Amino acid sequence: MFTSGNVTARVFERQIRTPPPGASVNRARHFYENLVPSYTLYDVESPDHCFRKFTEDGLFLISFSRNHQELIVYRPSWLTYSTTSDDDSTPLPRRASKFDSFFTQLYSVNLASSNELICKDFFLYHKTRRFGLFATSTAQIHDSSPTNDAVPGVPSIDKITFILLRLDDGVVLDERVFLHDFVNLAHNMGVFLYDDLLAILSLRYQRIHLLQIRDSGHLVDARAIGYFCREDDELFLNSSSQAMVSHDKSKQQSLSGNKEDDDVAENGLHHTQPQPNATNSFLSGIKQRLLSFIFREIWNEESDNVLRVQSLKKKFYFHFQDYVDLIIWKVQFLDRQHLLIKFGSVDGGVTRSADHHPAFFAVYNMETTDIVAFYQNSAEDLYQLFEQFSDHFTVSSSTPFMNFVTSHSNSVHALEQLKYMKNKSNSFSQFVKKMLLSLPFSCQSQSPSPYFDQSLFRFDEKLISAADRHRQSSDNPIKFISRRQPQTLKFKIKPGPECGTADGRSKKICSFLFHPHLPLAISIQQTLFMPPSVVNIHFRR
Amino acid sequence: MASILGDLPSFDPHNFSQHRPSDPSNPSKMVPTTYRPTHNRTLPPPDQVITTEVKNILIRSFYQRAEEKLRPKRPATDHLAAEHVNKHFRAASSSSSTQGL
Repeated sequence: MFTSGNVTARVFERQIRTPPPGASVNRARHFYENLVPSYTLYDVESPDHCFRKFTEDGLFLISFSRNHQELIVYRPSWLTYSTTSDDDSTPLPRRASKFDSFFTQLYSVNLASSNELICKDFFLYHKTRRFGLFATSTAQIHDSSPTNDAVPGVPSIDKITFILLRLDDGVVLDERVFLHDFVNLAHNMGVFLYDDLLAILSLRYQRIHLLQIRDSGHLVDARAIGYFCREDDELFLNSSSQAMVSHDKSKQQSLSGNKEDDDVAENGLHHTQPQPNATNSFLSGIKQRLLSFIFREIWNEESDNVLRVQSLKKKFYFHFQDYVDLIIWKVQFLDRQHLLIKFGSVDGGVTRSADHHPAFFAVYNMETTDIVAFYQNSAEDLYQLFEQFSDHFTVSSSTPFMNFVTSHSNSVHALEQLKYMKNKSNSFSQFVKKMLLSLPFSCQSQSPSPYFDQSLFRFDEKLISAADRHRQSSDNPIKFISRRQPQTLKFKIKPGPECGTADGRSKKICSFLFHPHLPLAISIQQTLFMPPSVVNIHFRR
Repeated sequence: MASILGDLPSFDPHNFSQHRPSDPSNPSKMVPTTYRPTHNRTLPPPDQVITTEVKNILIRSFYQRAEEKLRPKRPATDHLAAEHVNKHFRAASSSSSTQGL
């Protein structure tokens, strides 16, 4: 968009030319080609904390203490120093290479009590009010005693607490406790934040808890989808069961076999106890919606009644028990009313391989409690939608223009890479399954830094990328090459100490934290199981 | 009218009636030229309201595919003409609720 590569010429050009409509942010990002974090401070002496993340607006750096019980929040600031010489190669004053000159500690809060630990992979940021959501949990118990509702095979955690904190000053605003439950907290997988709506998936009890974060900082329960789909279902069933207490038991048995008709199932007779228990032969609300949707889909495929019954027998009744045994694995918001739910079998709950365990995706409308669409994880239809509209899966806010993270729907280069992988793979359905493994997306898992923008820079995706996961580190620096002509090297990020480590055998992993809008990045390299880590700060000098 | 916009025509002769020219000493009583179309094929329906579609494009495509699947299949012979009429109506209704981004 700029005719020249020189930063001064670009500034002058910015004064006189307006950008193409809708592309003003893209044009502003072109300046990041000129301002790059090319200078590295190696092995900065930093406090021994686990640094987690910069918040999306760049105001805070979140870190946890080593014992996973305290939260320490820093404010990123910029180096200021004065030098008398014009020469660029003079070394920085010694005080500049300290951690404190870049980050000022704001406060340190104790979140976890004695036997609880903060889950250091979990952090959600509510941008408008600058609230942070953290989670503490007690230890995981794998062989828990099966209770009535619980899905067997899912571990149980005695106490999970979600804490809502105001990040400006560290005041704890609200808490929500889940007892004897299991929520997948690693990398925000079991929780999704969309604007002010929070969806927490309880794997053990198969319930999606919807909470709303109010402006005052309160967490308000909105709904719990799972056994009941609407808020007043429980009330309705309780009131009808009280009226039917004196009814004949045999009549209850005969009606419980009818699972296809939604209305009959909901108005049907309930056992005398209002709580759902193991002897209750009714399926949960959301499972009933799912089964009736599958039934109607197969019914409408054929127009002839005989063919319909045959096709039903083959596709629906043959697999009926498999469908009934499906459990919810992961949940994502698509907009304020629609959820994307991933179903799967109990065995494949926490594995990442897609081959042996079939998985299904369903789009569920919370207002009408209807399932809108249902796909298997090898469905090409769903893959087409994923390829074309992947931004709409990842956008977690109702203002879509804020999201400029590169994906294959908004960048030609990422799309080329995807097509290359598609052509390289042997079987298309395996490729589709592999791609759809990333659905539903985890919330806030990508860094919005413009240095990861594929239209500006080219870098090795295996060594560094926008997703904040640990990576294998190599001793060679990671190069960022500009996409424009001439394709020169713009800057390098080298994790680890300056001259590399003497011990080349131990495996090192490194993680990168990029500030969202300043040319500032932290790289942390650590060897497995050993605490001392090397922290480098990369910034523009 | 001695306005910067010049003598551009407009659909409704009463548009721009509140406009006051920059020179208040000689008020002009001219009504802008009204455009008289020669055909009415492109007239919008009288109750047209243009709003942004609430559902984003991904959810719209889910609903569209669901509707296609749930509609029972018909034999292709007699209903082709009816489908063409349906298509015309759907095009007209989609133009009346233009989706914004």
